[in-house]
Amino acid sequence: MFKRKIVGAVLLLGLVGPCAAQAADEPRRSAAQADAEQKSWEKEFDEVCSKTQDAMTFSEEELKDLIRRCDALLPQIEKLDESQRKVHLGRLRKCRGLYAYVLDAKGNEKK
Amino acid sequence: MSKKMLFAMAALLVLFGQAPSQTGVKKRRPLPYEYGRVIINNYSEKAELAPVVFEHWVHRSKYTCRVCHVDVGFAMKAGATDITAADNSRGYYCGACHNGKTVVEGRIVFQACSKKGTSEESKRCQRCHSYGLKVASDYDFFHFSEPLPKERFGNGLDWEKAEELGLIKPASFLEGVSGKKSSLALQKDFALNAKVEGMPDIIFSHKKHTVWNGCELCHPEIFVGVKKGNTRYSMVDISEGKSCGVCHTTVAFPLTDCQRCHSKPV
Repeated sequence: MFKRKIVGAVLLLGLVGPCAAQAADEPRRSAAQADAEQKSWEKEFDEVCSKTQDAMTFSEEELKDLIRRCDALLPQIEKLDESQRKVHLGRLRKCRGLYAYVLDAKGNEKK
Repeated sequence: MSKKMLFAMAALLVLFGQAPSQTGVKKRRPLPYEYGRVIINNYSEKAELAPVVFEHWVHRSKYTCRVCHVDVGFAMKAGATDITAADNSRGYYCGACHNGKTVVEGRIVFQACSKKGTSEESKRCQRCHSYGLKVASDYDFFHFSEPLPKERFGNGLDWEKAEELGLIKPASFLEGVSGKKSSLALQKDFALNAKVEGMPDIIFSHKKHTVWNGCELCHPEIFVGVKKGNTRYSMVDISEGKSCGVCHTTVAFPLTDCQRCHSKPV
C-alpha cells in the first residue's frame, strides 16, 4: 500500500513537475520574447532609417522597398510606450517622408 | 473756452488717433546670449515649476542640429515636442543626454527630471526650470564666445567658421540614440534668383546645410517642393518662420544678415 502511494506520488511529480517548471518559466520567457521583439523592430528601424544619407543614390525600386519597410514598422511602433512611440513615430515620419520625397523627385526628373 | 476745447480735442486726436494706425509692436532684438533661447512651458507651471530655459548656443556647440532634431526627436517649433518629465526620466528627449551618465567634454551631463523631492533635487530642477529665477549656469556665454570668430547678428558668432577652425566640434552621433550612417554624398550648391532688382542672387549651399542637418530634417517637412524652381519663397513667408525662416529667424543667423544668403557676385 505504502509502495503504491510512493509510486503514485513519484508519477504525479513526474507529470506535474515539468508543467510547474514551465509555468514558472513563462513570465521569464515572455519577457525575453518581448525583449527579442523590441530588438527586432529596433534593428529594422536602424537599418531602414540609417540609409537616409544615401537616399539620392537609390533606384525607384529600392526607394519603394524602403517606404514599404517603413510602413511595416508603423504598427510595431504604435504598440510602444508613450515616450518611445512619440520619438520613434517622429523619426519614422521623417525617414519615410524623405524616401517618398526623393522618389517623387526622381519621378519628376523623368517627366 | 472754444480754444481750450479745440486744443484738448487736437491733443486727444494726436494721442489716440495714432494707436489704431499702427499695425504692431516692434519686437526687441534679442541680445547675443539670448538669441536662440527657447522657453518651454507645456507642463512646468502646471507642476509648480518655473518654465525651462533652453539655450541653443551651448547645445549647438556640442551637437549638430540633426542629432537633436532627427535622432533625439525634438520638433523644429518651440513647444511642439510636448516633452514630459516622464519622457526625460525614461531617457528620451532631454534625458537622452541629461541622464547622469553621458560624458561630454570630460563632464558628466547632469540628470534631467526625477521623482525625488529633496531640496538637493529641487536645485537640480532649477538648472533647467530657471525662467525668472537667478540661477548660475555652468556655461557663461561671454567666456564661451570670446575665442570664436564674430559676426554681426544673432549670437554674434560665425558658427560655421568656428567649426572650420576647429574651435567647436559638434558631434553628429549620439551613442545609443543615433543610427550608424554612411558619410553623406555631397549635393551641389545652386543659385536662387532674387526678386528685387539690384539684390544679389542667393547662393544656397547644400554642403553647409547637410553637414549639420542631414537630408530628412529639411525634406520634405520644411522644403516640400521636389522640382527646382517650382516653389517660390518670399521674404514675407521667411520672416513668418516658413522655409529658411524655420531656422533663420530663430537659431541660425537672422534675416537682417542679408548678404550671407544674397551672396552671388553681381
